[in-house]
Amino acid sequence: MSDKLTSKQLSKKITDEYMEDAFHAHENGKLVGYTTAISPVELFVAHDIVPIYPENHAVANLTAKKGVELCSVVESMGYTNHLCAYARSDFGYRKTGVTVTRGIPDPDIFLACNAQCFTLTKWFQVLARKGNLPVFVFDTPEHIMDKKAREEIVKYCVLQLKELISFLEEKTKRKFDYDRLKEVMKYSAASSILYRKFLDMAQYKPSPISIFDALIGMAIAVYRRGTQECVDYYQTLCDEIQAKVDQGIGVLPRDQEKYRLYWENLPVWFKFSDHAKLLGSYGGVILTSLYVHAWSFEFDLDKDPLVTLAENYVNRFSNSTIEDRADMATDLFKKYSMNGMIMFMNRSCKAVSFAVPTLKDILTKRTGIPALVFESDMGDQRFYAESQVRTRIEAYFETLDRLGLAQKTAAA
Amino acid sequence: MWESLSLKDVVALARDPYPSIRKWARDTGKKVVGSTIADVPEEVIYAFDLLPVTILGTHKPLKKAPSHLPDNACSLARSNLELALSYEGDLFSGFVLPQVCDTTQHLSDIWRINFPDKYVESYLAPRQADRPSARYWVKEEIERLIESLGKWLGKKPGNDALNASIAVHNENRALLGELYKIKRESPGTITNKEFFAMMKLSLQADKAEINKSLKTIKDSLKAKKGKKFTDVILVGITCDPPEIFDILDELKLNIVGDTLVDGTRYLQGMVSVNGNPIDALADRHFKRGFFSPIHDNVYKNFEEVKKLYNDTKAKAVIFVHIEFCESQEYDLPDLKNMIKKEGIPIHVLDTEYQTTSLSHVLTRAQAFFESLKGGSL
Repeated sequence: MSDKLTSKQLSKKITDEYMEDAFHAHENGKLVGYTTAISPVELFVAHDIVPIYPENHAVANLTAKKGVELCSVVESMGYTNHLCAYARSDFGYRKTGVTVTRGIPDPDIFLACNAQCFTLTKWFQVLARKGNLPVFVFDTPEHIMDKKAREEIVKYCVLQLKELISFLEEKTKRKFDYDRLKEVMKYSAASSILYRKFLDMAQYKPSPISIFDALIGMAIAVYRRGTQECVDYYQTLCDEIQAKVDQGIGVLPRDQEKYRLYWENLPVWFKFSDHAKLLGSYGGVILTSLYVHAWSFEFDLDKDPLVTLAENYVNRFSNSTIEDRADMATDLFKKYSMNGMIMFMNRSCKAVSFAVPTLKDILTKRTGIPALVFESDMGDQRFYAESQVRTRIEAYFETLDRLGLAQKTAAA
Repeated sequence: MWESLSLKDVVALARDPYPSIRKWARDTGKKVVGSTIADVPEEVIYAFDLLPVTILGTHKPLKKAPSHLPDNACSLARSNLELALSYEGDLFSGFVLPQVCDTTQHLSDIWRINFPDKYVESYLAPRQADRPSARYWVKEEIERLIESLGKWLGKKPGNDALNASIAVHNENRALLGELYKIKRESPGTITNKEFFAMMKLSLQADKAEINKSLKTIKDSLKAKKGKKFTDVILVGITCDPPEIFDILDELKLNIVGDTLVDGTRYLQGMVSVNGNPIDALADRHFKRGFFSPIHDNVYKNFEEVKKLYNDTKAKAVIFVHIEFCESQEYDLPDLKNMIKKEGIPIHVLDTEYQTTSLSHVLTRAQAFFESLKGGSL
């Protein structure tokens, strides 16, 4: 038996060590910085600040169906149920201590990057008021299509990254080490390439991974990018998936993979495995989404690290125009040979969801493939209508069958 | 068109300004450019000889907007889109739309895609205001807006034209500020509804013209103190429908201060006309008060409300909550707690664009102010 850890074992080891480090940060003279899943965390890593993602903690609780319990507590505190379920469940955790994990350490500072949404800024403001803590907002104006404007946006973002470095130096009373940042960037660039390679393995037929594998696999990219262990993890993961490809192993057997689907938005976390099973029963596999691709950065190591950081964080799908987002999704459709799409209107995530009706119109027109649109919430089960979703999924696959859109390789 | 209006005319036009804007555009042959709140520098648009109109929703039914924006989107955003898609779109030659919050994150994309034949530009004001880069970025965005409008129209105003536009806007703010003072000190002179109608129409009509009306109105007013008024502070972003002001008037509440974007936040910051106009406009951006979607000191909202309350010696704070305004919804619980802890009475008024029935608003406000009179007043 090989001594080499599997990707699953490696993921657990990395996560355990990371959380251990986070809980002992102060003993080791480090600060804990809360940050957004999409944020230039490379600066935290280079400056030995332990990044903590309240979103990840929220996902763990919501996936374990703790949403209603935690969110209800928050509503009695005066917050409406329209707000992001991540934020509400986090406020609920602060109030009750209820969590399915060991929790997360309290923050010393906050870094909110609004390339993903503005909700995180407001969420962090609420937490900051509880401890009178500093919030740094890395403001990323929408990556509009004008070339000159984009250059100016990057300049503004670089200026802010310099301010962020000064902010970190002030809070830690330590000089920022640019050489260390270059090293961190090398790891981030390398792991991003491998992460993308992992996601792109969904191109194979049958696909060896579904979006559910991608959602599990993306965790390390979110919270450990900028480290050697992150690179090692994705190398291991890619090797494992490649072995499946070599053996022709798919999520569904080749003759049953009828529909290769695109998913728009974040997942419905508490229906994660149910959706995989349900879709599989119709010969459907969700292959990808722009969401999971949000962490496949393309850092250019020949550039000033602050410039390549600014360029990459500002052009995430959630901060791009709807037209650019449609181009990104269209590329995925072609690359992964997809023949169906599920457009999730996520009540929790306004920043991503309010573009969905327009995006759906563009994508259906471009691809000629009908879309299944459904509205629910990524974390609050009260907004999920089980029978309605099942009926719509069933009807959608009937439509695809009727239109003759099934993969030709699948059994009739 | 708007040069010799009576106060009564202003109230009627503020309710539905579009027929008058339409007539003005026809008579002058000038183009109309719409923008939504907040912070688009209308002085720049005006300097191009265009009419900047702040779009503040419609009271007509929603027909098309719900297919673009779901029902949990801010009702003002839906209402604005509906106004353009179904009712007044042809009036506008273009739009300059700010990105301020999650609802507006992709809103200018939606407008641009739906109006392919019109000029649509984004105005990306910084969503942080606590660092030097914010000022740098405001200036960049003002310059980009000038470039963009110049490219569209094939001409660009010089500094003199920009300063002239600023002067007209300064005059408008000064006049409204004086009228506010009269209302504050002598609430029997101007009702809440009348005053905020003057504010609203000023954001939608030609400033040079309406300034003349405001001046005449101001000069014709006879100060009346009135009796049994209760002074209050209005906190929020906007306040709609205008019938809410009727309710406040009915309850004899005198708004002596506010933090509304289409209220005091519009009046704040006179712009210098003696130097570089772009620098001066950038300076003004930071002279304005708290706006929920822009990150700043996390206590700024509370500090401003407290100061306003103390300075005006008001008796209570009314928070105007727009349904589905996420920014406000994150702020409100803490703000409410801090205000209550300070011993300041606060009443939250829930509003929604397209609301037709306001009886619940009246009942709740009545109950609050009656209890206040029985208590600390």
